[in-house]
Amino acid sequence: MREAYIVGAGQTPFGSFPDRSYRDLFSAAYTAAVESIPEPVAPDRIDEVFVGTLGVGGRQIGLAGPAVATHAGIGDAPTTRVENACASGGSALRSAVEAVRGGRADLAVAGGVEVMTDVSDDVRRWWLGVSGETEWERLTGATFAGVYAQMASAYLDTYDVDREVLSAVTVKNHDNGAKNPAAQLGFSCTLEDAETAPMVADPLTLYHCCPTSDGAAVALVASEDLAGSLRDDPVRVAGVGAGTDSVGVYDRATLTGIPAAATAADRAYEDAGIEARDVDVAEVHDCFAIAELFAYEDLGFCERGEAATLIEEDVTALSGDRPVNPSGGLKAKGHPIGATGTGQAVEAFKQLTGDAGDRQVHAADRAVLHNVGGSGGAAVVHVLECGP
Amino acid sequence: MTRIAAVGGYLPRFRLGADAIAEAWDRYQASGIDAVAVPDADEDAVTMAHAAARQALAVADRDAGSVARLHVGTTTPPLAEGDLMPRLCSTLGLPEGVMTATHTGSTRAGVEALLGGYHADETALVLAADCPRGDPDSRLGQAAGAGAAAVLLAPEGGAPIVETASHVEAYPGTRYRPPGETETRELGVRTYERDAYRETLSGAIDRLDTAPGTVDAAALQAPDGDRPYRVADALGIAPAAVEAGVRVAATGDLGAASPVFGLVAALADGVDRVLVAGYGGGAGATALLVDTEDPVPAAVATPGPEHLSYTAAMRRRGAFGDADVAGGGAHVSLPSWRRTLPQRHRLEAGACRSCSAVAFPPAGACQGCGATEGYDPVTLPTGGEVVATTTIHPGGAPPEFADQQRRGGVYDSAIVAFEADGGRTVRVPVQVVVTGDRSIAVGDPVETTVRRIYTQEGVPRYGVKAVPAEPTG
Repeated sequence: MREAYIVGAGQTPFGSFPDRSYRDLFSAAYTAAVESIPEPVAPDRIDEVFVGTLGVGGRQIGLAGPAVATHAGIGDAPTTRVENACASGGSALRSAVEAVRGGRADLAVAGGVEVMTDVSDDVRRWWLGVSGETEWERLTGATFAGVYAQMASAYLDTYDVDREVLSAVTVKNHDNGAKNPAAQLGFSCTLEDAETAPMVADPLTLYHCCPTSDGAAVALVASEDLAGSLRDDPVRVAGVGAGTDSVGVYDRATLTGIPAAATAADRAYEDAGIEARDVDVAEVHDCFAIAELFAYEDLGFCERGEAATLIEEDVTALSGDRPVNPSGGLKAKGHPIGATGTGQAVEAFKQLTGDAGDRQVHAADRAVLHNVGGSGGAAVVHVLECGP
Repeated sequence: MTRIAAVGGYLPRFRLGADAIAEAWDRYQASGIDAVAVPDADEDAVTMAHAAARQALAVADRDAGSVARLHVGTTTPPLAEGDLMPRLCSTLGLPEGVMTATHTGSTRAGVEALLGGYHADETALVLAADCPRGDPDSRLGQAAGAGAAAVLLAPEGGAPIVETASHVEAYPGTRYRPPGETETRELGVRTYERDAYRETLSGAIDRLDTAPGTVDAAALQAPDGDRPYRVADALGIAPAAVEAGVRVAATGDLGAASPVFGLVAALADGVDRVLVAGYGGGAGATALLVDTEDPVPAAVATPGPEHLSYTAAMRRRGAFGDADVAGGGAHVSLPSWRRTLPQRHRLEAGACRSCSAVAFPPAGACQGCGATEGYDPVTLPTGGEVVATTTIHPGGAPPEFADQQRRGGVYDSAIVAFEADGGRTVRVPVQVVVTGDRSIAVGDPVETTVRRIYTQEGVPRYGVKAVPAEPTG
């Protein structure tokens, strides 16, 4: 099997940009990714393009991939839209890696884009809602916040965990996001801010929920031969894993974790030949604070029911033994659905190439990306490593 | 002839007190009413009829499959046209061959439904449910309550209907509702309206052989707490008998359900001889006499009561209009909705033909063993246990639930575990109707009920929800 490397990565800031179209955002991210490579790369070098997007608002349900690729000037490379709800970006990255590994491409674009803030709350909730289990779960009046809140209720009850740990996750991620110029909510907050924010879906307050965002992020994936000619320090994609489960939470083996994410992690670790303890830094899918706790357990960073300890002992803080979400995570960095997974790759690329500025994790050689679709119907995990 | 074999009743949880109405309008026009029952944001005549029917069938210990006829009386069918009987049959599990009849257009419809079921002389379920509306600053609007009654007629029943009578007299302009309107009117020509009520009711009751003064309870049509006593006095019926058969003081005007609910309440109290008399504007009256031989099983569900502020009550009734939702909502097409009605209406689960694991909904590959051999129907109990739950806070509802939240405020969305035969459990997502301080937590017991899930394309869609189980013991 050929190895695949990330040779460049770039993104737009995440936030609300009423002056910019989804094509424009994608172009900007693509340009930033190309410009992050020391050597010039002509568009005709690109063999495959994968674009993750949900298409919130229905702006371009069909052919969203070609729409953004042509706008970015990529040319006529085969372009495929990848949709796995919030894991669309991670799934696009996986597709690009597999195209390179399989020999079909020497250089592939893994991109993601979403515009979510130019529609009314009603329209946005409609679009997000139909990415969950529509016919049964949704028709109990549940939203995504509601479904994660249900899982939180089961988790807090099963393991007798104090609700306040959710706020501690928020504080950590905001502290990191305050150091990230691309973050949508780049400010610090206090435990009290998080605890006393308006309730969205009990036990989740507004500060336990990620924002809705506009943004795009692109990673360029190259074969070993090409990677070496483009930069000295390409980032190897050491492992890829993905998992699938019922779209509705009620129909899964457990309510206190994301089985598809655990499966994806197992597969990615096996692919990379590593174990959880070998991971230095992780970007995880903290769409809601409870989801970061699930990520710790699904990624094997701790035993079931022990996630709160990692937060309480600062293990996952920027200065801790295994920092999680140095970017600020979905909570502070933002969550433009299709771009979230590739945005995680951008952050990990910066961390592993020593380009993460104030939030640089010390001695980060191996990173894990954890991207979850919906409430866990799909999940993708990548292991990235420094050097050859 | 068939006899009354069991009765059931249902009142919504919420009440609006006379003092709150008087404070809001500086005057109170619903004399003799202390509080009116207010339907929840997801209740209507169909859901209340269902709730009353379930009480009657449960206390009768009778299989719904034995019911041959369904008669329903209401002045407030949720659709002006469109048969709602099939949906009631489906939620109650009545056989598809059941004969159905809808009686409407008059508050007399409840007693007409009872008479219709009686004259058919086969096992019949008679339901009367109503939630009338009137201008909030009118006698009718201030008196408007909500509730339902169910009477099961069967050959072996303990209470025969011994005689019936009817009387009509043209009185135009008394209690009417023009086409397309939701609020019922009366002209306010007081003497004329009282005359219509008195003459038609007396006309029907006078046609009975039984002397009205001999009854133990008089379940008279009760538009307020005043008129039944006046007409009873003229007929020689003692005030105590009216008190035994008229519950308007605690419920408000139950419209078509009023006299039937009075009958149910009287039988539940063990009263033997009950005069039932319905009246409707226009005007007409129907009367019948029940003479109990053996006690009739009875159950009336009256959750709460929980008193609302005037504003909260008006919100629940939808007096402030519907939510204006942009973009529509999650669209489940009616054909796909219909395919799942056994699950929506009766929570029908399935046992995998390969591994026997219970699945909900019973469709697709078994999540236990992966087999695609199909499912055998499994009936779930009405009680389950909450295994995960959240409260959806104001403004956070999906668009198709925005209207419910606008009316009823917060609601709980939960996952409930039900235990089928053999200890096999299955998890089902359900909305839990919570009220006041009765929010639910993981581990709490809940009971299923049927409410309106939402309305799309003008079609109300009904389905199973849950309510916190009433404390037992």
